[in-house]
Parts: sequence; C-alpha cells; structure tokens
Amino acid sequence: MSAFLDVSSLSKRYTSKRGLFGAARSMYAVNDVSFQMTKGRVVGVVGESGCGKSTLARLILRLIEPSSGTVRFDGLDLLKQRPREMRRLRARMQMVFQDPYSAIDPRYTVADAVMEPFQIQGVRLSSAARSDMISGLLTMVGLNPGTASSYPHQLSGGQKQRIGIARALALKPALLVLDEPTASLDVSIQAQIVGLLERLQAEMGLTYLFISHDLALVKYFCDEVLVMYLGRVVEALPDTDAPARHPYTRTLLDSTFQPDPKLRRRIEPLAGEVPSPFDLGPGCAFATRCPRASERCRVETPLLAASGGGHAVACHHPD
Amino acid sequence: MSTILKVEGLRVAIGALTPLSSVSFSLEKGETLGLVGESGSGKSLTAMAIMGLLPLIGGRITGGSVVFDGSDLTALPEPAYRKLRGGRIGLIAQNPMTSLDPLKKVGPQIDVVARLHLGLDRSAARDRTVELLGELRIPEPASIYHLYPHQLSGGMKQRIVIAMALAADPDLLIADEPTTALDVTVQAQIIRLLSDLIRDRGLSMVLITHDMSVVAQACDKVVVMYAGTAVEYGTVAAIFDDPRHPYTKALIGCIPRGLAGAQRLKGIEGTVPSVAHYPQGCRFHPRCLRAEAICAAVSPPFIASHDGAAACHFAGAVG
Repeated sequence: MSAFLDVSSLSKRYTSKRGLFGAARSMYAVNDVSFQMTKGRVVGVVGESGCGKSTLARLILRLIEPSSGTVRFDGLDLLKQRPREMRRLRARMQMVFQDPYSAIDPRYTVADAVMEPFQIQGVRLSSAARSDMISGLLTMVGLNPGTASSYPHQLSGGQKQRIGIARALALKPALLVLDEPTASLDVSIQAQIVGLLERLQAEMGLTYLFISHDLALVKYFCDEVLVMYLGRVVEALPDTDAPARHPYTRTLLDSTFQPDPKLRRRIEPLAGEVPSPFDLGPGCAFATRCPRASERCRVETPLLAASGGGHAVACHHPD
Repeated sequence: MSTILKVEGLRVAIGALTPLSSVSFSLEKGETLGLVGESGSGKSLTAMAIMGLLPLIGGRITGGSVVFDGSDLTALPEPAYRKLRGGRIGLIAQNPMTSLDPLKKVGPQIDVVARLHLGLDRSAARDRTVELLGELRIPEPASIYHLYPHQLSGGMKQRIVIAMALAADPDLLIADEPTTALDVTVQAQIIRLLSDLIRDRGLSMVLITHDMSVVAQACDKVVVMYAGTAVEYGTVAAIFDDPRHPYTKALIGCIPRGLAGAQRLKGIEGTVPSVAHYPQGCRFHPRCLRAEAICAAVSPPFIASHDGAAACHFAGAVG
C-alpha cells in the first residue's frame, strides 16, 4: 500500500544576508526529514521552539518552497504541481493555525470566513445552498448557526478556533495539518477543541498531522509521534506507549510535569539550552546537552535508523 | 510554623467594577502556595493587590486584609510600600524581556537592588551579584555580569530576573507565571531552581500559574480561582486527590495525562464570564454539571479553615 503522505529527505535552508560584521550565515529550519503517513492516522510532531515543526507543516502544504526533497500526497508529487493544480489540491489538504485571532480577517463575518474557501476555489453556490452550508458547518463544530453574522472580535478564543476548524473542513479535505491549534487557549477550552477534533476525525475518517510543543497532549491525542530537535526528526515512535530511546525524547518526558503531586519528578540538571541553529557543525545537534555524548557524537551526525516495529531513532547511543 | 502572609476576604475594585472578591489564604514560612486559574480568574490581580500595585491600573482594595509578617499592608503608605517591594518581597514576572532594561548590562541591573535596599556600595553590590549569579547556576557569572539582555537565552534571562528578586534578601517571592514563556526543558530547570532556593534560603513563595501540572510539581498549598473569586483552597494533596469544588475537579479533568494512561479529556462547556457579566449566585453555576436552583440565587460562602475550604453549596458531596 502506498503511503497517503510520503515525505522524503525534505529540507528548508535559510541564508541570512551578509551582516555588518561578517559573512552570510545559513541554517536548516528543516533538515533531511522523511516519514510516511497512513490514511486515517493521527501523527504528532513534537519539539521545543525553533525545532522546525511549524516550518515542516508549511512545507508539506507547500505554503513555502522546500530547498530539497519531495512530498507526495495520495501518489502525487506536490512539488511538480503548477499553481492552478496546487490550488485545486489544497481543497483536499487544509491547515488549522495556532492563533485564531490573526487567522481570520477582522472585517469578515463568521459566514464570510467559513465561505472563503469556496470563493478561492471558484465554487458558486445558490443563496439557499450557501446558507445551508454555513449553518451545517457551524453546527458541525459546535457553534450556534446564529453566530454567522458575528464578527471575530465578538467571539471568544475557543469560538474563533472553531471557526478556523469549520473553514478548514469546508471543502471536505482528507488531510488536516493542525499547527498548535490549542496553544493559545485555556485548558478547559483546549479540552473542548481536542474533543471536537477527536469527534470529527472519527466521523469523517480524517488524517491529522498534529504539531505541538506539549508532549502530554501529543501522547494523548496521536497514534504515532515524531520528535524533532533543531530541524531533524530524532525519534519516530510507532505508538504512544513505545518507550523512548533517544536521550532528547527522554529529557522531554522527564521535563513534562504530571497533574498529580504523587508523581512529582526529580528534575535532573540539563546542561545549557537549545544552541543557535546557525552554522551547526558536524555531529549530533543534541551532543552539547546530552549526558551520553561521546567523541563520535561530536563528529558524526546520527541518521534516523529503523530499530524494529516502526520505531526509528537517530542516536549513536540509544537506550 | 509562623505565618508570613495572610490574605482574608480580599476585595478589589476598578472604577465601578469589582473584578476580585472573597480571596482568602494563608502562607507559612518555607511554603509555596499556588494561585491557579484560567485567564481572567483574578490571579495576577491578587498578586498586584499584595504588592500594592493596584494604583497603577486605577484599582483599589475595597475590603479584606493583606497581612505580611504581622502587619496589615492595606493601609500602608506608598513610601513604605516602596521599601517592601524588591526588599522583603521579591517579584518574578512572566516575561523576562519586559523586566530587564535592554540598554543596560544585566549585572548592574541586579546591583542597583542591593544598593537601594541594603545600602551596599558599588563594589560590594557587584561582588554580591556575581556570587548570587553563581548560586543560580549561571556559568561564568563574572563574564555574564557584563552582557546585555539580548545576548542571553530565555532561560538565562529568567535567571537574571530571579537574581534581581533575590538581591535584597527577601522573605517572600511572588512569581507570576515564571515559566510560561519558556520551553518545557527550561521550565523544568527553573522550577527546580526555585524549589531549591525556597528550601535552602527558607523563603516562602506565591506561585501564580495557569498550569495545574506546575502546581502539582512545585506547591504545598493551592488556591483555585475562577471568575475573580477563590473557589477552593487546600493542601496540594487534598486539591488533587479529593477536590471538593466542581470547578477544581473539572479543571483537573481537562489536563491530558498522556504519560499515565488514556483517560478521555473532559472539557468544560461554555466560557469564563467577563467581569461586567458575572452571573448571580455561584459564578461557575452556568457551566457546572451539579448546579441546582440555589446555585443561581445564592453565592456560596468561602470560609478558609486550617484544612482548606471550598465555595460550593455541595462541597461535602462532590463525587
């Protein structure tokens, strides 16, 4: 069976202009990332700020152009599609953004916002069909159809995110890329939105790529997990119960507190913070902070290697 | 044990609105108390009231008392408050970027606190700062002293802000979302550092956070806030093992425990009311699954006892 989404050796390199005090510098926001997604699965991408997870999301939808690599969606090579074909394809692959405040045009009513995808795709609807569509979409995401005439500033953050989801689902896509869809919401609202996403996925058989910094949420919500660090996937977990083998994944787990005082963590001091992504030398990017780092880690970049059962880890000294 | 801070029936007005009422708790020496709630619950306002900063936002205390080490602060004149703030009470704010002057080196920004509050001369203050930076596990403190804020990482900047809060040797720390802007691995390090400081220096801390997992990790006692009032108060074990207020119970049910089994998340229907539209009776009743007629009519009393308390008509019967 061919993969629904097949990402292969995908990279995005940015180069800064020559500065006042030095030569141009370059960095890989996404570095040699490969993975496959099966239809109907929920794959999580987790990592700290600057790990490249949002860039990866945008590369997959071709909102930005990769420096190298390929993305195949349902057998089609996305990077070979012309703009018109790409636009048509985007009806089948949509994105929900982190900040529902800036994702919706403040001058649009809720009805305008959820109908915008039809306008972009050039779909004309009769006014009866249009109002049916609007109330159907709003009901689907748990909003009262009466909110159709409201403006974004009249809505709460949770309601706005529901609009963002309704708009992403308007054209009945197969793949939804969710970029931190709950990061700017309170936990009680986050739980509502996560519940909504679970229900929609079950009802419509959607495939989700779920980007998040929150490992506990990813482990709760996703079937499979990719852990990123400084542009690379360092570990791919085939299911959320698979024991972590990469020292960075283990550090993330150990740093994630539990909502239970009986499960307090002994926090081990971790050296330093994420280094600058500019001009990373050879070797493992985590070596500067890794308790297991050896000489080999400082000279030879570990590549993501399958370790059985769909598990893959990029480490010279995995657990 | 002796009480360092006792807040009773605190009530705050801004213009014609009363955004905060019925907040009571007491903090013993050496303890950490968590003030937890979602946006708009009044936790930061409580901190501002304790610090005497309400005039900055046009607010004033209209009821109750704030007793710090035996003396009531509600009637304290501004010059005396100025000695207290940064002196015996240290503040750690959420965003280290706005707490630091971007145009000044970080070391002298810490010096000025000790010079002002402890009357140290320039070189004594400087020696003290370098020693303090070392205590906060900042590598090469003597050279970090001479750097500007923009040359430091987020976690390092937050350590500088903690150093400023500690510079005058305070008895009480008020930390307002000290790790919210940080990545999880850095958050874990800062929480560990704060816990060590509380223990080693015999400090007390009010930790303001929206994150119940941080509370479970770091606090001895908890005040749960909702829509401008305290709804439950108790030890961290009681709050998590046997929550007596339906909001506390619901809030805990919103947190993904991805690491310890897949209990489905339960959101809380509806949204937090805004200060101009607080409902009659219990402010949580429109969202509460247990609500009965009395809840919409009578505001449940919140009386803090030694064992804690909950502001719910059915506090004894939440199951």
